[in-house]
This record gives sequence, C-alpha cells and structure tokens, in this order.
Amino acid sequence: MKEKKLPKAKSGERKEIFTTNSEIPVKRLYTPEDTADIDYDKEIGSPGAEPFTRGIHSSMYRKRLWTIRQFSGLNSAQDTNERFKLLYKNGSTGFAIAIDNASMCGFDPTAPEVEIELGVGGVNVCSLQDMEIMLEGLPIERVSTAVIQGMNSTCPHTAMYLAMAENRGIPLNMVNGTSEGDPTSFGGCFDPATLPVKQITRLCGDLVEWCAINAPKWNPVSFTSYNYRESGVSAYEELGGLFSSAVMIIDEVLERDRGLTVDDFVPHLAFHLSSHNDFFEEIAKMRAARKMWAQLMTEKYNAKNPRTKTLRFHVQTAGSTLTYQQPLNNAIRTSYQAMAAVLGGVQSLHVCSYDEAICNPTEESAILSVRTQQIIQDETNVTNTVDPLAGSYFVESLTKNIEEKAWEFFEELEEQGGWGGAIDSGWLMNHRENAICQHEDNLRDGKLRVVGVNCYRDDTIASGISYFKTDSNLRDKLKDRLIKLKKERDNVAVQEALAELKEADDNGDNVMPATMKAVKAYATLEEMCDITVRRHPCKAADSPFYGMKGAM
Amino acid sequence: MKKVKVLTAKLGFDIHSRGVTVVNRLLRDTGMEVVYLGNQYPETIVAAALDEDVDIIAIGSLSSTGLDYAQKLMNLLKEKNAVDIPVVFGGIVAPDELDRLEEIGLVSYFPPGSDLDEMAKTFTDLAAQKVS
Repeated sequence: MKEKKLPKAKSGERKEIFTTNSEIPVKRLYTPEDTADIDYDKEIGSPGAEPFTRGIHSSMYRKRLWTIRQFSGLNSAQDTNERFKLLYKNGSTGFAIAIDNASMCGFDPTAPEVEIELGVGGVNVCSLQDMEIMLEGLPIERVSTAVIQGMNSTCPHTAMYLAMAENRGIPLNMVNGTSEGDPTSFGGCFDPATLPVKQITRLCGDLVEWCAINAPKWNPVSFTSYNYRESGVSAYEELGGLFSSAVMIIDEVLERDRGLTVDDFVPHLAFHLSSHNDFFEEIAKMRAARKMWAQLMTEKYNAKNPRTKTLRFHVQTAGSTLTYQQPLNNAIRTSYQAMAAVLGGVQSLHVCSYDEAICNPTEESAILSVRTQQIIQDETNVTNTVDPLAGSYFVESLTKNIEEKAWEFFEELEEQGGWGGAIDSGWLMNHRENAICQHEDNLRDGKLRVVGVNCYRDDTIASGISYFKTDSNLRDKLKDRLIKLKKERDNVAVQEALAELKEADDNGDNVMPATMKAVKAYATLEEMCDITVRRHPCKAADSPFYGMKGAM
Repeated sequence: MKKVKVLTAKLGFDIHSRGVTVVNRLLRDTGMEVVYLGNQYPETIVAAALDEDVDIIAIGSLSSTGLDYAQKLMNLLKEKNAVDIPVVFGGIVAPDELDRLEEIGLVSYFPPGSDLDEMAKTFTDLAAQKVS
C-alpha cells in the first residue's frame, strides 16, 4: 500500500484533529475541568465495590495476578496435550482449548463436509476420548480451562470437558473453567442466514441453566465481544454489542420462568474482550465496561448479589491488528495491547503470537506470548497498585466518553429489537460492513497508519520466522481413531442416549442431562449436532456452517 | 457495454470476512457486478460461476486451507472446461508456500494489506484480456 501523508494543520501541530482509534476526538490537554462533573464515589468508587470502575477486587494484582491463558490447539488431541504441557512448564496458569473448524461446526473427521477443515485453527475434538487425551497429565483440579467452542457445539463440547473431569474424580460442582460458546457474539460476524440462530440461542440458554444448578464453578458462557470487535467495529460499539448480546441470553433464561433469578445464574457468566491498538482507549473501555455492567444489572434486572454485578473478563489482544508484513513487529504490538489489558484490570489474558497473521503459533512464538505476560507481571511493577490510571484527567474523561457512546449504541440496538432483532433484520451486518469500509478508507488516505503496511513498508525484508504446518497425516489418524472408537463403544448405550437427547430437544426440555449421558457413552459430536442443530430451520441450508446433510 | 461480472466467495469455513467486504465494495465501485456467495465449497462456487456466466472468480481465505480449496476449485474448472475463467486469490498464504499459487494456476494473489488501486487495476486488466 502506498504511503500517504496528511497535510499539516493550521495550528502547526501534526494533524488538524487528533482522535482515538474509534474516532473520539482527543484534546491537546486535559485538566481538572474535564473531570469536574464526575462524582468519584458514584461513578468511580473503590475497587471491589460498586460500580467497580476501578476493578472487581479490592487488592487486584497485589493478591492475585491475572491468569496467563494462551488459546492453543493444533492437530490432534495428543499434539495439543504436548503443547499444553509445554506452556504449563513455561508458566502458563490456565488452559484454553482452540477447537478446529470441523468440530466447531459439529462435524466428525469422517464427514466429507470437513475433509479440508480438520485441525484447522485448532484441535479436533469429536468425542470424550479427545478431551481425555488432551488433558491427560495436566493438573485440571488446580488450573482452570476455557473451552473455546462456538456456534453449534457449545453443549457437547462443554459436556465432554465436564465428563472427562468427573471421570477423573473431580465432582461436577468443583470443575473450574469456562465455555466460550456465545452464539450471540458470532451474530456480529456471521451472515445470520447461515445459522439456526433461535436454536443455538436456546442451547446456550440450556447450558447456562443447567450449569447454574449442577456445575456452579463452570462459567457456561463467556460473552465474546472480541469477535464482534475483530469483525470491524469500534471500542464503544464493542461494549454496546457486548451488553446487548448478554441481555439476549439472560432474557432467554428468565423467560423460561423455571425458578432461576439473575442472582442464581448471572454470577457464572464471564466476558471476553479485545485489547486493540489505542492504548488509553482500551484501558478506558475496560473501566467503562465494568461500570456499565454493574449499572445494567442493577437498573434493568434489580440484581442484589454483588457477584451478579461484577464483570469478570478475559482479554485477547486484537488479532486483526497483526500484520502479515514484518511479522516480528507483531510481538511489539501485542506487548502494548497486553499492557493496556493489565492497566484495564483484566482477569485472564491471551497475548497473540507474532506469527498469527500467517499461521497457528509455533512453540517458539507461543512461549514468547507467555514470556510477554511474565515480563509485565514480574518486571514492570505495574501490578503494585490498583488501577494506577484512575484520576488521570484524560483517562477518566475518556472512560466517561466511551461509556456514553456505548450506551447510545446499546440503545440503538434496543431500538432494532435487541441483538437478535438487529441480527435478523441484517442491520447489524450492514452496520459492520460500513465500519469495515470506513476503516479501509482511513488506511488508504493515511489517516490511520500501520507500520510495515501503509508506511515503512519493505517487502524485500524476509519475515525472519518459521511457520507452523498442520500434520499432513492428520486426516487418516483422526479417521482411524474415530472408526475404532465407534467399534469399541457400547453402541446400544449410545443409541439410547441419543434417543433421549432427541426427546429432550423435541420437548423443549433442557438438553444437557441427555448430552452428558451421550457424551459419557462416547457418542460423537456429529451424532449429537445432527439432533440438536441440523434438524432445526436455517435460512441458508446450503451454508457450510449449517451443513444440512446432502446440501453440500 | 455489458458489465464485468465477478463471483466472490470465502472458501470453506474461514469466517474472517473483512477483506472480502472491502473487495466487494471495491469491485462495485469500479463498475463491476459482484455475485457474492459468502462461505462456500468449491463445488458450489464452480456451479454458480457457470450458471451466472461470470468473467472472473475471486476467492479468498485467511485460513491455512485456502490453497487446498483453490486446488480443488481449479480441478473442477478443468473438468467443466472452464479454465478460461481467471481465478484471483486473496488472503493468507505462508511466504514459504507462495510457489503453489502459480502451480495451482491462480492468476493473481493479494495478501493482507494489499493496495486497492493495484487490485482494481488487476481486475480491470483481467476483464479486458477476457474480452479481447
């Protein structure tokens, strides 16, 4: 891309208008006047107390550091087990399972639909056996795991993890971890016609309901505004979308009227935010997010339990900011993004690896991501005091600014019929596409600069890195193991459990008891998704994501 | 004059659609007609390309599978005697696999961060070559 420089401003400054990444104007100087209308006690307050702007715990990192949780998954369960062991040995304090495209969409390795998608973007997980192999020898009783499934597979993949833990002697009510499984966040990124949105929302609601009673230490959903942000929207739209999608799932559970109140299940819901390039904007966004959630839970749902009002969140540094050109620069980008997440009060963090704009992380790049976090934890001393940027005229003013704009966007979504309505009508997709095109225009006219892409570009420089390659024998290995599993399992028990699952699905009962039973009998992912997903109406039945049999 | 018709699609399951959104707009702004299929398999893409009688196919992926799908698509075009439709590829190809682009028969490749003016020119030139 050709380099373009903006004309100098009349003021003699480098630009006429300075803005954040989300195009919020930024003044030359911030003074006490900019924070004069902020009531410290009501709008900021002490960490660990409402409205939690300064953090969800009173001592934050002085007591407990955030979890180093690198999202990982490659090839087979065995290969991923080795990667987890490597990361754990090097100081990771949490696991996060990246599931491959084939499994995310609810297909087994033998399905022709996913011939090219096995081990792509993660590890293949098609039965309880994969979970057993993947977590073998790892201290899951002490270290929590995030299962990053999505769309079609939230119930079966969660059930596989929980069943694996139970089989290892950990009581269900002690299993610690998170399911990403947020169908709503994908609504921001997907063509809604390609998924049975109503059914996958129901399945997510089933998991929330069932976990609140049976697996209270498991976070059944992590609202992932990360995906929505990555799909092209601004920092404040990320928050508006986050809360709008959370409201959709909360209402789904409340409308069932089966005796659960928000204080019963919302404390178990978690969040997954992005940390993008604009350092102060991201910090302000995370501070605003906590305050907004507390306010939403109090005002909209009359929540009483303080835990219902605390926004606990994981952060992934923004993958979309990584550049294909000069990939080592990405390690520098992600370090700043990680620092912003820490100053924003994150609970769990994935630092993208420098090679992620090209391939899955190699061992070398994955370990550097762990080290990036350890350097912040052990060397920079930013963990010594809680919310060190509070009181900054600029940061407090920006926090308030983002909050106001995020509420405006939230209201706009409400007017569109909420998150679900905005997905269904196509409003959300149009809005996102406009944002993507605006971003591209900003890159083209030089308003936005990306080092190595539209400035300081030099395509003669070799990348200087090695590339991860998927195991070329993976397909055969996975198929063989699955065929063997299907021969050896008790197929009568599998059929009984699947019949129960179909009955629960048809009757509108919670599908989780039957899913747990099916998983424990080694029913496969595809067998379960054929029942819970692919029988349900979807506008674009020929979409690969839906995969109606025969539509290929 | 008849508008140049381009079929665009994402290959397989790769959901990263920011690039294709920008490309679709660029081609429309250049005066071309765009038939966008969203995510699809090579079989569907080739069938649609023939049904719609398109001048150019533009496919993309940010996943490691892009070239495997592209290979499959090119084989299908051969089977259908439709190799005269030029196929442009956008997205991620690891630098050590760039040779495969030509082997597969893709006429042009645009990695992330490509210049849109150059891209528009490539499409215009391909359309002109097809007409001549």
